[in-house]
Amino acid sequence: MFSFIIRRTFSSIPTILILILISFALMRLAPGSPFSSDRGLPPEVLANLEAKYGLNLPWFEQLYTYLKGIIFSFDFGPSFKYKDRSVNDILAQGFPVTLTYGLWSFFIAVAVGIPLGIAAAVRHNTKLDYLAVGFSIGAQVLPNFVMAPILVIIFTLWLNWLPGGGWNGGEWQYVIMPVIALSTSYMASIARITRSSMLEVLSANFIRTAKAKGLANSSIILNHALKPALLPVISYLGPAFVSMITGSVIIDIYFSTGGMGQFFVDAALNRDYSLLMGVTIVFGVMTILFNTIVDIAYAWLDPKIRL
Amino acid sequence: MLVNKKKLAAMVDSASSQTPIEGRSQWQDAMVRFKQNKAALVSVFVLFAMITIAFIGPLLSQWDYETIDWALTGNAAEMGAPSIANGHFFGTDDLGRDLYARVLQGTQISLMVGIIGTVVAVLVGVLYGAVSGYFGGRIDNVMMRFVDILMSIPYMFILIILFVMFGRSVYILFIGLGLFSWMDMARIVRGQTLSLKHKEFIEAAVASGVSDFTIIVRHIVPNLLGIVVVYTSLMIPNLILLESFISFLGLGIQEPLTSWGALISDGAKTIQYGTLWQLAFPLGFFITGLFCFFFIGDGLRDAFDPKDR
Amino acid sequence: MTDIIKPMFEVNNLKISFATNDGIVEAVKGVSFHINPGECVGIVGESGSGKSQTFMAAMGLLAKNGHADGSIIFQGHNLLELSVEQLNHVRGKNMSMIFQDPLTSLTPHMTILAQMREVIALHMDLNQADTDRVCREWIDRVRIAEGARRLNQYPHELSGGMRQRVMIAMSMLCSPSLLIADEPTTALDVTVQAEILDLMDELKRENGTAIALITHDMGVMARMCDRLHVMRYGEYVEEGTAEDVFYNPQHQYTKMLLDSMPRIDNPDRTSHHKLKPIDDSQTGDDFLVVDDLKVHFKIKVGGGIWPKTLPLKAVDGVSFKLREGETLGIVGESGCGKSTLARAVLQLIPPTDGVVTWIGKPLSGLKKEELKDKRKDLQIVFQDPLASLDPRMTIASSIMEPLLTFAAHMSKTDMKERVMKMMDRVGLNRNMINRYPHELSGGQNQRVGIARAMIMQPKLVICDEAVSALDVSVQAQIIELLIDLQAEFKLSILFISHDLAVVREISHRIMVLYLGRVVEMANSRDIYDNPIHPYTKQLISAVPVPDPKIERARKSIKIPGELPSPMDPNAQFKFLPSKRDQVAQGYQPKLIEHSPGHFVAEHDPLETLLA
Repeated sequence: MFSFIIRRTFSSIPTILILILISFALMRLAPGSPFSSDRGLPPEVLANLEAKYGLNLPWFEQLYTYLKGIIFSFDFGPSFKYKDRSVNDILAQGFPVTLTYGLWSFFIAVAVGIPLGIAAAVRHNTKLDYLAVGFSIGAQVLPNFVMAPILVIIFTLWLNWLPGGGWNGGEWQYVIMPVIALSTSYMASIARITRSSMLEVLSANFIRTAKAKGLANSSIILNHALKPALLPVISYLGPAFVSMITGSVIIDIYFSTGGMGQFFVDAALNRDYSLLMGVTIVFGVMTILFNTIVDIAYAWLDPKIRL
Repeated sequence: MLVNKKKLAAMVDSASSQTPIEGRSQWQDAMVRFKQNKAALVSVFVLFAMITIAFIGPLLSQWDYETIDWALTGNAAEMGAPSIANGHFFGTDDLGRDLYARVLQGTQISLMVGIIGTVVAVLVGVLYGAVSGYFGGRIDNVMMRFVDILMSIPYMFILIILFVMFGRSVYILFIGLGLFSWMDMARIVRGQTLSLKHKEFIEAAVASGVSDFTIIVRHIVPNLLGIVVVYTSLMIPNLILLESFISFLGLGIQEPLTSWGALISDGAKTIQYGTLWQLAFPLGFFITGLFCFFFIGDGLRDAFDPKDR
Repeated sequence: MTDIIKPMFEVNNLKISFATNDGIVEAVKGVSFHINPGECVGIVGESGSGKSQTFMAAMGLLAKNGHADGSIIFQGHNLLELSVEQLNHVRGKNMSMIFQDPLTSLTPHMTILAQMREVIALHMDLNQADTDRVCREWIDRVRIAEGARRLNQYPHELSGGMRQRVMIAMSMLCSPSLLIADEPTTALDVTVQAEILDLMDELKRENGTAIALITHDMGVMARMCDRLHVMRYGEYVEEGTAEDVFYNPQHQYTKMLLDSMPRIDNPDRTSHHKLKPIDDSQTGDDFLVVDDLKVHFKIKVGGGIWPKTLPLKAVDGVSFKLREGETLGIVGESGCGKSTLARAVLQLIPPTDGVVTWIGKPLSGLKKEELKDKRKDLQIVFQDPLASLDPRMTIASSIMEPLLTFAAHMSKTDMKERVMKMMDRVGLNRNMINRYPHELSGGQNQRVGIARAMIMQPKLVICDEAVSALDVSVQAQIIELLIDLQAEFKLSILFISHDLAVVREISHRIMVLYLGRVVEMANSRDIYDNPIHPYTKQLISAVPVPDPKIERARKSIKIPGELPSPMDPNAQFKFLPSKRDQVAQGYQPKLIEHSPGHFVAEHDPLETLLA
């Protein structure tokens, strides 16, 4: 197990490097300089600006400086647009917000989705099962950007219970709607996957053996069926995390929470390349790390991989 | 826990042993099963109706999707509500543009994104997956490692960066979405090819001197078709979702063209002024469309892989 | 006398039906029988006869769409009327069950010990130390070597035979009065089967456990059962003591079953087509020559930060010759490399070393195009009839495929005509021409596979376990078909099988493989009547004979120790321990000509090995 963790962790390093290279290459390939949209800048000012941000250097020197900055001092350099702020400052402001509601959403999606799926599979073809299936089918067409306005209509405009946006330091009233909007469709998917994989495991030969031993249903499910049934769910969590992170952009925009997503969209519209790269790389590293954890969890559940 | 299918078949077989002359292929079997699936069948009709309306419907309206009805501008909240009298069947948007025409136009774009993007993704995915699976070994290792890497980075961000930098034309949107969605398909096709490759009927073909190329064309591709059809049908709604997502952020489709995502975004921004129809109509189309695609996809999956449930 | 004993397990007019999409299927149509304490009752039948369902119903394991009527009385309770909770006090404790597939019947993520402890915790009142002691005792009792270590392993680390022994140990923990065994040895090698059967017999005698044995194998029945029931289409067609059924069968079906069963002790049954003898004066010697063929695979072993690769010697220096019109049987247990050998001969897997010569010309190292020409004469028939046909092609297109490759000049109608003729020849009705493989039975599909192999009238056909997946009655028909085709077309056959009795029926000569090497090769008669190598002796003694008196008088030979892994350099020395110290010098047991045409690998005498 230990050597597996070491091996898996090391193998994520090239992925991170490739991510940095891709985003770096994209910036370099972008037509024109990031400042060329500021119309009317005299050429010498432009040259000065470019020199200030090191854009006049050959690409490998830029890459070297950039990599060195990230690896040794976790420094993403200055923002191109917010003249007196560094990318790090901006990230430090947005990251905790995204992390807060992101983790809550993830936790709720898993904590509700898995038990729901198990219950549906165990009570196969009962009302509970139909309800769970209905929910998971319905929630497929309720992605975050649909959920968000619907929630606002209900809880803000009609019931007037919750504020329609803002963050306010993460007070609970401000967190509820972002979390529900972000987690619903993943909760449904997790429930769906858990249900079908649980149904499949429950028809496996070793479950028949467990029944033949005289074990009670509850202990068959907990001790024999649960671990193998969770394997497909675990492998779904990786892509789900990636797409949740992406979805956070919607949440930040719609609820004005001030998270990373808002800066990302601003940066995209303003061609603030260094900030774009910073956000992309931070999100990328997070997903790669998360995928590593998922793989390790998978190996822990499946003794055949552990070897 | 269902009783073993094969055993049952044997039981049935031993009970009655007539032999009709005409055989029924797996495709025919699948189509029969698909037709028994009511939700999927209804979805096919609804979707067909929606496509018809999206392309023919604009002819029935006196307004087009970009002309502003100056009589209503600035007063959309009170006067822009749906009405037969002024010809705005679905009402107008904030600027006074006809929502009926815009929704149908958005439907066209969204459906096209879904279909063209899927074609791109399927082409790339099937080719990539089949090559990787058929050649196997080191080539397969490298190719799949690359897919793993792509799947573990939040590619949506990179896609958005691409749009921003290279201009936001509809075509880039179509192709870009496709180019960022082929990995799942590649994995599925690769897995299927790999398992097909080791099937005995492929070995039998090799032993009968059939060439590699003929084996791929005659045996591998037809046997991949079922699973490709199923995943293609499930990919269309996902691409529509992706496009809607980007357009919701205002980074996708460019005005005055629109799409479901952009319309929902516009509608969502103005709900506090009470113009609920601006959200309701696009959302209704969006939800109906996606439901249809999902039901058809599920129906196809059950039809081709009946043991799944 | 027996009338006084009260049956412990009694089934009365049991009916079982399944609700399927095609309506209700009756799997069991009203059967009644009983089992007395301490006896072994067998239910024999072919696939689809409904033989397991009775006991599935008793254990409460019927599929959800199944329904049982009638009664199953066990220790005074009607099992069909018990709730799941009540049933849980019975199953695993007083009545337990082992299943056909030991590979998937144990929970993969729990250690053996954890799975055994569960049973005791549930049904017995023991403390932790006693629990572990009982588990350990039973693991030793079922003769699993290094029990203490095995208990802490996961199922995938154990071989199939060991897993079935674990299953037995687990089901015996509470000393049940009835052990139900559903095809317990079907998935196992013969030598392992013999050990498992002996073990079950011992449990029956020593613990007084009654056994219900469900199988398709008349030989296993003859060895184990006191009484037996023959089942077909959900009904018992014959029942009685083993002697009655075997020596005086009444029903046509029983006679047919007994007749189809290949017999290792008596290959020349009058009802069968005879193998055509080889005329030595007419046939040349160099039809197919295989010289020192080797196939090694690289296998990743172990984890660690840098995994290593080791060579797996699937085939390690095999040589033989095959004459025109001759059948060479290749036998061996799973993992002996027999299928790899077949594929290497056909160049489907590139051999690592060695030469295959086909009518004087080497096959290895040929270019693709040259090889393609040869393939016309070299065909193969596979084990799984369904998997060996393209599911999307009609059977006619499958049979026609070689014609498209080798006789592309023929017109479509000519091709079709030829396909039809071949279908007649292999016993397929012409009206099936447009049917698909999933619509046919296993036997029919295998006929399609044979038709495809035969359509170019090849000179050599390799049958890789071609009859292993079929019911005995179908198996007998296919073997007859192959014998006829051989006589008609002067066909040479390499017949690969794990079943020594089947191989005896069809082969002129037989080669015994053990972990990639030949241990004995001789005429069919010599091998069976005068086996020399201990492994051959062990194999032959392990095959059950469908004759209770003969079978129970026979003693199976057990050579101590598990089948070693083929990657173990010592593996070949299991039968030559006296020279094990020469492994380091690369010494391999030599093949010695014992008498003309009878080759035997170097080995220590059986007595030394058994000691």
